[in-house]
Amino acid sequence: MHVLPYTTEVRADTGLTSPKLGIWLFLASEVMLFGSLFSSYALLRTGAASWPDQSAVLSVPLATLNTIILISSSVTMVLAWTALAPGPQAQNPARFKLYMGLTLLLGAAFLAVKAIEYGDKFAHGLFPATNTFLALYFTMTGVHAVHVLVGMAVNAYLLVSGARMWRTEPERFANRVEIAGIYWHFVDVVWVFLFPVLYLL
Amino acid sequence: MTPARFYIGIFGALVALTLITVLVSSLQLPTAPRVVFGLAVAGAKASLIVLFFMHLKSEREMVFWPLALTAFLFVFLLAFVLWSEADHIVGPTLGS
Repeated sequence: MHVLPYTTEVRADTGLTSPKLGIWLFLASEVMLFGSLFSSYALLRTGAASWPDQSAVLSVPLATLNTIILISSSVTMVLAWTALAPGPQAQNPARFKLYMGLTLLLGAAFLAVKAIEYGDKFAHGLFPATNTFLALYFTMTGVHAVHVLVGMAVNAYLLVSGARMWRTEPERFANRVEIAGIYWHFVDVVWVFLFPVLYLL
Repeated sequence: MTPARFYIGIFGALVALTLITVLVSSLQLPTAPRVVFGLAVAGAKASLIVLFFMHLKSEREMVFWPLALTAFLFVFLLAFVLWSEADHIVGPTLGS
């Protein structure tokens, strides 16, 4: 079986491993995806005749909790990678599993809180079609939630399948965890902007 | 300082910034300072995550320049949106 090149050694022309450059270029495209949603928000809100008081419609306490949850998951994610990365501390696959498991748990908690929020809106007859603000709210947080779900799927795969590759190609596996971490931190950064824009402004 | 302790320190800063932004939003400031402050705090939090959790601070230039271009293009996009609405941007929709 042909092994992918440049997963552990850098390319001479870029000075990076291919996955490292790849994930950053992918995130650049994701910036434009979420950027288009944020600028749509700016256009629609500044052009609207009236706009609801966002913090009265949405739950700021729940969103603050979700912000803390997602930031915590970013910390556990980077600690999961630190447990495998080459460096002064000894590598510890058991610690990787612990922190990756915690990252998954926190991701699930984030989605659970979002499900509670959505359910509460629907119970009060508030749907995406109700007004422009809610359309933007559901679309932006919905697209973000799908990104959280996909990130969790990748993280779950790494947690479950990691032991085998850690035994045979540890550096390649550590790099995989790092790349998944970069994606996960990006999902956190998007929420860091969604929270004030949709809930606080 | 061990890496773990450093990351926990960044986490503490992120939590503090989150609490600050929620508290300030409850003060019901006028529009312009509210928007500027909210986005500034969000930008600070995002910078901490990108520079330290994503290791961009120690990353090669090859990564930095595509991102810088992306940031510029996004600001460009947003600027055109705001420019097209500039004549009535501070209106009923953004509060007082």
